[in-house]
Amino acid sequence: MNQYTFSGTAKTVTIGAMIVGVVSMLLTWFVGADDLQSRFWSNFLHNGTFFLGISMMAFFFITVCITAYAGWAAVFKRVWEAMSAYMLFGFIFMIIIALATYFHWNHLYHWADAAAVAEDPILNGKKGFLNPNWYLFGTLIIVGTWVLFGRKMRALSLAEDQDQGHDYAKHRTMRKWSAAFLPIMGFSSAAMIWQWLMSVDAHWYSTLYAWHAAVSWFVSMICLTILLLIYLKSKGLYKQVTTEHMHDLGKFLFAFSIFWTYMWFSQFMLIWYANIGEETGYFLHRREEYSFLFYANLAVNFLIPFFVLMRNDTKRKLGSLAFVAVIVFIGHWVDFFLMIKPGVKITRDGHGHADAAAHGGEAVAHGAHEAAGHGVHEAVASSFEIGYTIPGLLELGTMIGFLGLFFFVTLTALSKAPLIAKNDPYLDESLHHHT
Amino acid sequence: MAHHNKEVIYGLYDDETDLMKAVKEAKELHLEIMDVYTPFPVHGLDPILGLAESRLHIAGFVYGSIGTLTAFLGMTWVFTKDWPIIFGGKPMWSVPAFIPITFELTVLFACVGMVITFYIVCGLGPGVTNDYLDDRITDDKFCLAFDTAEVDSAAVKSFLSKTGAEVNQKVL
Repeated sequence: MNQYTFSGTAKTVTIGAMIVGVVSMLLTWFVGADDLQSRFWSNFLHNGTFFLGISMMAFFFITVCITAYAGWAAVFKRVWEAMSAYMLFGFIFMIIIALATYFHWNHLYHWADAAAVAEDPILNGKKGFLNPNWYLFGTLIIVGTWVLFGRKMRALSLAEDQDQGHDYAKHRTMRKWSAAFLPIMGFSSAAMIWQWLMSVDAHWYSTLYAWHAAVSWFVSMICLTILLLIYLKSKGLYKQVTTEHMHDLGKFLFAFSIFWTYMWFSQFMLIWYANIGEETGYFLHRREEYSFLFYANLAVNFLIPFFVLMRNDTKRKLGSLAFVAVIVFIGHWVDFFLMIKPGVKITRDGHGHADAAAHGGEAVAHGAHEAAGHGVHEAVASSFEIGYTIPGLLELGTMIGFLGLFFFVTLTALSKAPLIAKNDPYLDESLHHHT
Repeated sequence: MAHHNKEVIYGLYDDETDLMKAVKEAKELHLEIMDVYTPFPVHGLDPILGLAESRLHIAGFVYGSIGTLTAFLGMTWVFTKDWPIIFGGKPMWSVPAFIPITFELTVLFACVGMVITFYIVCGLGPGVTNDYLDDRITDDKFCLAFDTAEVDSAAVKSFLSKTGAEVNQKVL
């Protein structure tokens, strides 16, 4: 069987998950504790960026394989093509958030408040990049470019199926598009991560942040690929995807979990060691107010893949792979939660505003050094709040909704083309893949 | 090598696919293979030969763990008991600052330990010379060797020439 039909249980489950998501988002809107619906918008931002990034990473990996002449994954590249079909939906969601920011329907970003920016020397210095115009047009142009590349490559891949005999002209065209996408993705994804995620903590910045977030996306993408392939194999499809391919995906999950830890730790240790007020605020706040998630996130995302997948045989067994994939996927979702929620909560509670005037005075007197730290850690009283301090049921529901949509789009795209791209020049290599 | 005064019959093949085919046939004929020598690792040969998985990586894990403990406990002792110094106002026992060195020593111990273990297991080392069957098995020939004490010489010779090998005999 070389054709997937999307029907029955899979369709019911994904549609059910989407309904759960819509209900959760509506409930979040109506139980919203503040006028600007920060809980709703931050959940939207959290899942919107998370799943868009996963989809973009799936496409990125196709382009990496093509550019690097890597043939091992050619047999199931349609799975990644199908995942990248979600980019369009992620794009639409991010436009909604960008419009909401532009028209001040939400208050996720301190920098979106022109009055606060005028009084705040740090935000004033960043306003060339952190402003609603750039946010909206950056999202439109950059993510629009990703979507266009994704659609072009998918079209080329489908057209290649129609080729008679061995004419690799389409593959050569794909190689050009892939090579062009890599630098675009490399720089633009970092810019979007700064805009969407890092600027939630408007005063703070870190050069490693974009890497850390992008690797989170990548690891989550590998988790979903493993789970989807296991599902498809359980349906009797993709018999050509063997233990050898799963082994390699397991290696990617193992290696990039370690890479994620490396990024996480490098960012943490440099800031901890330098101990500069405007930098430490970010981690101090998370360590004091979110200590359980802060340490659990690191432990789960590092120790479980590291110790479970270290052995050869656990990477070759579907059970252990699926176990790690599920846990690490949730772990990285929580990682994004920790990137977004603390900053949103501070902005919502207006601590940034209240301190803004004080900042201005201080910044002039003591230099920019002290200013940012105050807004983050000193002004915030310890307060536990479901939906901000830990993910509540509504957050989980929203995630399930987005996951449902992600799989609905992926499986729909997957059912529209043969599962194996028969004219891919690397197909034969992939079929005989041996690790 | 631990073999002494062994009469060895060996065949040299030009290609690894010929070798693989011959190994499979030898297994079917229940000829006791002494060893196989190839210039590079041949994929899929281990399962055909029925070799057990190498335990070198288990040794690597143990060496790595020893490295982790050495670095972490060593630094803990130095910076809290032996010679405590305050660096940049940090606590004496500053775990994040220990991590990079712990990581490096884990890698160092695992690598060096595995190399030494591998050399000992294979009987290699500086100044050690080993007998070998043929110069060209380190270059472009694939060798299938039988010990005459374990197999019937005539049968093995005819088997080797039938499968396309250049047949030789040597005392190791």
